[in-house]
Amino acid sequence: MSWLEVKDLKVRVEDREILHGLTLTVNPGEVHAIMGPNGSGKSTLSHVIAGKPGYEVTDGQILFRGEDLLEMEPDERAAKGVFPAFQYPVEIPGVATMNFLRTALNAQRKARGESEFSKPDFLKKVREVAKSLNIPQDMLKRGVNAGFSGGEKKRNEILQMALFEPAVCILDEMDSGLDIDALRIAADGVNALRSPHRAMIVITHYQRLLNYIVPNVVHVMSKGRVVKSGDQQLALELETAGYAQFEDVA
Amino acid sequence: MPYVEAKNLFAIFEHEATTSKISEDVLFYCTQRGLSQEEAVGLVLNGFVKDVLQQLPMEFAVEAQKLISIFLEGSVG
Ligand SMILES: Nc1ncnc2c1ncn2[C@@H]1O[C@H](COP(=O)(O)OP(=O)(O)OP(=O)(O)O)[C@@H](O)[C@H]1O
Ligand SMILES: [Mg+2]
Repeated sequence: MSWLEVKDLKVRVEDREILHGLTLTVNPGEVHAIMGPNGSGKSTLSHVIAGKPGYEVTDGQILFRGEDLLEMEPDERAAKGVFPAFQYPVEIPGVATMNFLRTALNAQRKARGESEFSKPDFLKKVREVAKSLNIPQDMLKRGVNAGFSGGEKKRNEILQMALFEPAVCILDEMDSGLDIDALRIAADGVNALRSPHRAMIVITHYQRLLNYIVPNVVHVMSKGRVVKSGDQQLALELETAGYAQFEDVA
Repeated sequence: MPYVEAKNLFAIFEHEATTSKISEDVLFYCTQRGLSQEEAVGLVLNGFVKDVLQQLPMEFAVEAQKLISIFLEGSVG
């Protein structure tokens, strides 16, 4: 069974159709890259999978391990293991990152009928994960993303992904804003999470990221559809030829 | 703490919490990470209040705490 199956998905935002029948199937163990010009609908896809309000699905479906994802609330999706790392994570001042992470993880575990983490146990876990991603402890004491640099926000998303151990991850431009060292560390973190029981979608503008996180499949999105799929070679072709060749297809 | 100032404080909380701070995007972010809508509102409001409290002089703290408990009761749900 596929971990994620998007079938002929049509999505409107404020009466304008953004996704015009998008189809995408991701199997467990696979990493799919999505590339495509600005405004082609990549983040929209990630938001709809996550359940963000404001998007009207007019046709098609999204199945998560065979279940209808569109019927579920965002928190249900999270508990089932759907994790989008956002392109623009929000700031929540006053809520310490550590507290937020523990509350979120325990809410997910509770929803799955698993035992909640005690404060000390959680502290141990989060410190381990933060260390592996080279995230300084004092970042965890600050408000969630409050005053974080662009790169720090991205790292905080990867930290959550590593902590929640989701089944389906969608990384929306995780490489934008990361310095060279941070990119390598974040990519190592993502690679460490590759597993036969996990599916990943990596949205990026840069082929370079795919040297670190080598995808099984590369898709090109244009104007709200997947217009071509291939292997890593496709990403290299895009790097030289750009997206002009797909204008007609879409 | 004079009444009028307490009232102002209340107004600031209410204004900030309803307009900028507790936006739909923030709530969505929290629920997408696993919190229920109610848990998300509670967490964000508490955090916001803490943030404001830290900027107040000590003598306001007790009165402010009282206001906050009233405010939070009225807001959640
Ligand atoms: N809330 C919204 N209101 C109006 N238009 C929107 C909204 N969200 C997205 N759009 C439009 O939908 C289109 C697709 O946006 P989306 O953010 O999905 O693109 P993207 O492929 O992620 O682009 P980028 O590479 O720049 O991140 C754009 O034309 C955008 O303006
Ligand atoms: Mg985007």
